[in-house]
Amino acid sequence: MPLKAIDLWGHWGAPNPWKVCIVLEELGIPYNIQSVEFSEVKQEAFLMINPNGRLPAIKDPNTGITLWESGAIIQYLVDQYDRDERVSYNSFPEKYFTQQWLAFQISGQGPYFGQATWFARFHPEKIPSAIDRYVNEVIRVIGVLDKAIETNNTGWLVGDKCTYADLSFVTWTSVAEGLLRELNKLDGLETRYPRYTEWLTKMEERESVKKIRERMARGRAEHGLPP
Amino acid sequence: MAAAIHSNSAAEASKGPQQPLTLYTTQTPNGIKISIALEELEIPYKVFKHDFVARTQKEPWYLAINPNGRIPAITDTFSDGSQIHLWESGSILKYLVEQYDKDFKLWYPAGTRENYELFSWLFFQIGGLGPMQGQMTHFNRHVTEKIPYAIERYSNETRRLYSVLEKQLATSQSGFILSKFTIVDICFWSMVAASGWAGVSLAEFPEIHRWYEKVLSRPSVAKGMNVPEPHPIQVLMDDKTGQKAKEFEEYSRSWVMTGMAKDAEGLKKRDPAC
Repeated sequence: MPLKAIDLWGHWGAPNPWKVCIVLEELGIPYNIQSVEFSEVKQEAFLMINPNGRLPAIKDPNTGITLWESGAIIQYLVDQYDRDERVSYNSFPEKYFTQQWLAFQISGQGPYFGQATWFARFHPEKIPSAIDRYVNEVIRVIGVLDKAIETNNTGWLVGDKCTYADLSFVTWTSVAEGLLRELNKLDGLETRYPRYTEWLTKMEERESVKKIRERMARGRAEHGLPP
Repeated sequence: MAAAIHSNSAAEASKGPQQPLTLYTTQTPNGIKISIALEELEIPYKVFKHDFVARTQKEPWYLAINPNGRIPAITDTFSDGSQIHLWESGSILKYLVEQYDKDFKLWYPAGTRENYELFSWLFFQIGGLGPMQGQMTHFNRHVTEKIPYAIERYSNETRRLYSVLEKQLATSQSGFILSKFTIVDICFWSMVAASGWAGVSLAEFPEIHRWYEKVLSRPSVAKGMNVPEPHPIQVLMDDKTGQKAKEFEEYSRSWVMTGMAKDAEGLKKRDPAC
């Protein structure tokens, strides 16, 4: 029986919902995006879906489940729909390593890249110590990824293929690239972090990533937001 | 101490299944999540206590275990005899229940709706409440020059996140976050135990306060929260002179601010995970 389309509550420019779309694309799962504005996420109707009032959330008519938090959604999707291990592993220890890198993306990349963007780009008053704190953390995280890719020695974070762990970083690294360019900190990054750069390039060649990055960039451009 | 583990680690790697699990930790909210879970599941474990002042968490032997140079991390022997190093508190908790909690004491059977929902809450803690409370603590406690906007930003967001938890507890029938005590309670409780230090008052969140006391009454929590050393929060909150708080603040500030400066220095030299 063909799969019914998953409903995904997303946003034209936010990295976390688009991150889930990349995994949906990779797994060939049909989905509909319900685009929500940030002004709507704290309304009761949406709080019934996600008590935290944030994006993304999904409802899967194939199983009847409603879930929120991009990390929990991605784990659900691969658990339910990636039996062929196209972007995941069931073997030990790879299964746990992919979960570990996803947790690092959720707790270590997303929040800090988000704070860096806020202080460097949106907050009207420039607070150099806050900008430095978060931009340095962005670069530190890039260094951790670069080193891990070197250590694993396959071009990927886990095992010898591209997994949801790698893909989960892509939407925020796109934002980071735009931000670091604005701050004149992008120059030299390629030579300082060559494996990270190669890793991103390889991911950006994938159809799923190409398609979603384009949609996210278009959404941001249409609303006057930098990449 | 670091040197002792360093020289042991390579030899230990080949010793096989008799080795107990090792927890690399410090007395922080993320560290005690794991010791509490280990106590709940009665898993034997050894503790390696990091020294953040000496920056043992950035030494090469440890970066081989956790390339992010943070705590917690574990080394464990899998059922096939091979070794695994894992880091990130959320992924360690998932590993522990999947490997050791066959009776679903702290989670639900894999593939069930309840278990998927459990991970919505777990990710909400590690990606939301954890980092934001951490930022609030940083700007309230570590930065000497007060930045009103940053304090307000992270105080408001942390309190908003607490109000999400408050509402969930108010509607829960079990008195816990989900239908029973789970790793999600452990995750949030470890953060809430440091709420007073961050600057959040539990007087504002009566449901959280009630739940906090209920969880604290569990013997495994009372034990696990004091790994690798006694939890400082009660001492700090009971100290009316404020002297102990001042000392603790100076200690925290010293390693955090020195660490940030060293990280920034390392970035210039392209030191991975500096």
